[in-house]
Amino acid sequence: MYSALIVNHFIDPEFVGDIASPQIEFEIGNSVCGDRIRVQVNTVAGVVNDIAYRAWGCATSIATGDIFCESVKDASLSDLSARSDHEIEAMMGELEPSQHHCIHILNELHRTLITEAQAKGAL
Amino acid sequence: MPYNMFAEVENFGLSPLKLALSSVKELYAMPEEKLADLKLLLIKEAFGYHYENNKFYRNACIEKGISPDGIKTIEDLTKIPLVPIELYKSHDNHKLLSVGLNDIEHEMRSTGTSGIPSVSRRCSDTVDNAVLSVYSIYREFFKISKGAGLYLCPSTEEIPEMGMIKALNMLAGLLDTHRFMMRNESFVPEDMIEQLENWKNQFSRHIIGPPFLINRFIRYLKAANIKVKLDKSSYIITLGGWKRFSGDMLSRQEFNQECIEYLGVEKSQIRDIYGLVESNLMAIDDEHGEKHVSPYGHFSVRDPKQLDREVAVGETGQLAILDPLARSTPGFILTEDLVRLLPGESASGRSGQRMQYIMRLPESKEFGCCAVNLDKRLDDLELEASSGNCPIVA
Repeated sequence: MYSALIVNHFIDPEFVGDIASPQIEFEIGNSVCGDRIRVQVNTVAGVVNDIAYRAWGCATSIATGDIFCESVKDASLSDLSARSDHEIEAMMGELEPSQHHCIHILNELHRTLITEAQAKGAL
Repeated sequence: MPYNMFAEVENFGLSPLKLALSSVKELYAMPEEKLADLKLLLIKEAFGYHYENNKFYRNACIEKGISPDGIKTIEDLTKIPLVPIELYKSHDNHKLLSVGLNDIEHEMRSTGTSGIPSVSRRCSDTVDNAVLSVYSIYREFFKISKGAGLYLCPSTEEIPEMGMIKALNMLAGLLDTHRFMMRNESFVPEDMIEQLENWKNQFSRHIIGPPFLINRFIRYLKAANIKVKLDKSSYIITLGGWKRFSGDMLSRQEFNQECIEYLGVEKSQIRDIYGLVESNLMAIDDEHGEKHVSPYGHFSVRDPKQLDREVAVGETGQLAILDPLARSTPGFILTEDLVRLLPGESASGRSGQRMQYIMRLPESKEFGCCAVNLDKRLDDLELEASSGNCPIVA
């Protein structure tokens, strides 16, 4: 049911935690029944230099938070804003149909990070 | 099942638990002491299994000085360490797993007022047990094998991982037809009445859903002064919380009375189910309105101020569930619900425990399941719609 990528990021996530005074903070999720992911980010000169997340939901969505943080750490916001849907989908590896909603979550995490970074003048 | 028979069943390569799951009627007919002996064997085996396979849980047991050898009598079950239900909401709830993540077949969740989902993971063996249990219990209490189900909730297609909907949807497999009446957050009582009319004289018509949404339908019937007359073989089946988002409790007595008046059923046709997404056990109303606990599991009612102490039968306390069906996570759960076990013999003659749900613990931050959020969402939508209306009334 789960790929090795999902198992590893779910069981042993690297980026779970909190940043004391984050420059950017956002949360995505479904208010009725869905998954929730909260992300905190600090940037320096348009590059993500610190990131942490907390997630509540299915195993794949929790792993998605960690996959996102890993891929974003040390990346420039302008590069991230150019990341295509296809590239984002490929980051999740092979998924079962019931896990495909996490591609949407990963897309939303990217979009929201860029929107929030723009709002905070970080991009 | 005496111990030697238990061992003999295992010698044949059979599972005593699965045998019990398919013998619900026989278990409810057992003398109380014999049923208690069987539950002890099943729960003790499950405790030993999780002790061996779950490092997090074993460490908790060692810290509390308890091992499977310490469980010898039904009274010893209070020594089994309990997993507080809030741990299912924690982001690192993978530590609750007694199997590898790759052995997990199914994830289910429930989201209450906090908005943080409680996620329950089931391996193939647990799903087998849960399916056997749910269908055996539905058959025992409803004897349903035909009819039409008007589901006053969203479909599993819309929210496939939601435990309450999943459990109610399993009932649909026993019916001839069914229809989910909530789609894309729309709730149209006129469509419900029309559907019931279309099924009239073709099928026994059952109304199935969380209490709030059935109550919402009745509120419409009341306002429009419409009285539906369901069939003698109809059921009103509810599963889900009885407390609204606003904190108001829905009165079970009032709900029953309104079902009788506006849906044309008798009290014996109104059946509530108590269950939690984290557990495979349930308690279900019989024809006398008494909730019977699944006979292979144990409900232990604890003193909220001293959780290792059981309160006397008849007294209200905090519910601990000992569920031997759970193989992927320890099924020994401390809930946030206040209940009481009913004293004396059951009106239906069934053995085993019977319970009455009282309320969620007052200090609990969480109440309800996804139904409570759906109810709030419908209220918000109604408010939005009415705020656009012209305020001039005459």
